[in-house]
Amino acid sequence: MGKEECKTMLDALNKVTACYRHLVIALGSTSDSQNLREELKRTRKKAQELAVANRTKLTALLKDKTISKEDRSEYERLWVLFSSSMELLEVDMKRSLELGQNFPLKVPTRHLIQTGMTGSTTTVAARAISVQNIKYEADSNIDTVDLGDLQAEISQVSQMMEEMEMKVQVAPWAVEAKQEAGAELKSSMSVGNSSVGVISICEEEPKEHESGGSRDAGFASICAVVIFFVIVTVAVVLGYLVINMS
Amino acid sequence: MKIRTARPDRGQHSRPRMHCLNKLEAIVVEMQDPKSGVRGVEQKLNITIIPHVISGKDIIAWIANKMKTPPEEALAFGTMLVSYGYIYPLHNHKKLVMCNDTSLYRFQTPYFWPTQKWVAEDVDYAIYLAKRNIRKKGVLEPYEQAHYNHLHEWLNYKWDFIVMQATEQYKAGKERKKPDRVVFDCQERAYWIVNRPPRRTHSAMDCGPDRLIDPNADEKITFDQYRRMNMFYQQAIMRSKVKSSVSLGVLVKYITTYKNHDPFLAPCLPSNPWQTDTDTYWTLNMRRVDIPTKMRVERWSFGLFELLTDLRGRDDFKIFLKKEFSGENLAFWEAAEELKWGTASSISTKAESIFKTFLAPGAPRWINIDGRTMGLTVKGLEHPHRYVLEAAQTHVFMLMKKSPVYKDIQKKALNPAPHNFSAAQLEQNAQNQNPGIHPIILWKQEEEEKVKAAAASAPVDIKAVMSKIDRRNRDIQ
Repeated sequence: MGKEECKTMLDALNKVTACYRHLVIALGSTSDSQNLREELKRTRKKAQELAVANRTKLTALLKDKTISKEDRSEYERLWVLFSSSMELLEVDMKRSLELGQNFPLKVPTRHLIQTGMTGSTTTVAARAISVQNIKYEADSNIDTVDLGDLQAEISQVSQMMEEMEMKVQVAPWAVEAKQEAGAELKSSMSVGNSSVGVISICEEEPKEHESGGSRDAGFASICAVVIFFVIVTVAVVLGYLVINMS
Repeated sequence: MKIRTARPDRGQHSRPRMHCLNKLEAIVVEMQDPKSGVRGVEQKLNITIIPHVISGKDIIAWIANKMKTPPEEALAFGTMLVSYGYIYPLHNHKKLVMCNDTSLYRFQTPYFWPTQKWVAEDVDYAIYLAKRNIRKKGVLEPYEQAHYNHLHEWLNYKWDFIVMQATEQYKAGKERKKPDRVVFDCQERAYWIVNRPPRRTHSAMDCGPDRLIDPNADEKITFDQYRRMNMFYQQAIMRSKVKSSVSLGVLVKYITTYKNHDPFLAPCLPSNPWQTDTDTYWTLNMRRVDIPTKMRVERWSFGLFELLTDLRGRDDFKIFLKKEFSGENLAFWEAAEELKWGTASSISTKAESIFKTFLAPGAPRWINIDGRTMGLTVKGLEHPHRYVLEAAQTHVFMLMKKSPVYKDIQKKALNPAPHNFSAAQLEQNAQNQNPGIHPIILWKQEEEEKVKAAAASAPVDIKAVMSKIDRRNRDIQ
């Protein structure tokens, strides 16, 4: 049905927006590199495609005059989701243009900021584009060449959003959200491993990050301990049987 | 949410007082130079090692060296860098200051730098708070929780989007390696402490309302503007001016008298209500308080203007006038004030009239000032300027100050002890703020006073008085 398709496409757009934001935050810092610029370009392309697909679908649904009232409010809600995603994307694209212009990679006097981030963002980009491994194949002056494309894309996106506002008459402030406050806590249950390890709420940075990170390590170690005890119990039982038999 | 229309945008979007940001950015980029910049070390957190950590004294030494300034100025500059958000402290993250010791700092990523164009939006803040909610399993700090509830109410139509985006960003963040995750969390937290500061955190991003004109844009001055500027300056040259020795002397005198009464320069007793959220200072200085405070009484001794503008002072002065002061002194004082504050062209005419009315021997309202002051004043009146009657005015005012009524008031005045609140008490004060007396009650009190004053100054009914005296005589007889 149209609604389900829309929702999956919106989820995909949402995911790409979130990943794009992570990538833009890494611009200009020590984890910036040619690869990052290429990842940005590819994520943008994906975002554009998704945006156009979403837009056509949603405008088609909303222009339909024969839908019921609940359906219409549901489509309006989806429309608000779509337009908010696009606003975030537009702002991030404009900022990435500015940052890309301020921090060209080849100029030796323009140093990258030592923020402490040194890892690569490959995994984030892979999540965005939904591929397993990214192959980097761009030329070495992608940072300057890309900026021209980026400007064109930004103007495209702005135009698209203006058209959207003109064509579809949706009052965003009239939409009621389905999630209540604190809804993100419930959805996150499947995300991090809810922890058997210690979570300290103290404000000092090292401890809280340690506990956040050690949740994965903690879970693995608890599994290992459990398996160990199972094996020991089995061994004890077998030994007892052997002694009994002999 | 931005509503796009075809009409031109006449809104105010330029944030003021931010043209220093370009210069700050240039300096921060210079600090990154691997050869001549600030040296970074590694921070060890149990098993993870995070590079690029700098200590406060290294930064300050580098700034002092680069800008050739003494260390105190370098310290102030460093604090500015921290309060704008270019560098963030790793421990004690709510206090945005630079300390000249081994405390650790890190540079902020350029996306989170302060910019003139991009405002930290509420939607982004809501997404950040939702992410933090997930990470801290629902336990947010009180000010964060207050913001969260507020945003949930006002951004309700976008709340689905905010929740979805927060969970997605959280999941995407987990894809990075452990040290990068730690650094990213620190960066985001530092960014939002600068842009939505908790109570008593002073961040430099507290700027005023947005302006229409972009302060970074070049200003083109037209021919007509130049022509008007020329006319203005030519007229200004032709005006007669007060000698700077006179006006500067008055300025110095003003500063020395009012130095201790300025709440920015001297601590306000008992405590500044804007800082500690207690209104004791205001209640002690109300109009109808029984005993005025010492600082207030001291202010009355500075000048008649101070006395008359303070309502309590004016009430006391009326009582004093009934006993000792005489009418012509007050009239002279008022005329001298008029001379001081009036237009430059009327100075000579006013000075003439004052001389004829008050100072000339045999004048109709001759004031009684000592011979030396009289001599000085008369001489000055030959070439009158604004402050020619200053000496005479001061003498007249001294008469009141030295009077025993005033000395009595001074002795009885209160001197409240300064408050010393701890951080927990300050929080409580902020929550229990008192709304104060309703203005209608104050207005009613003033109306009652006016009625009483009108009744007291009504012309005495002679017949009633005579009949009362007759009755008394009859009773005595």
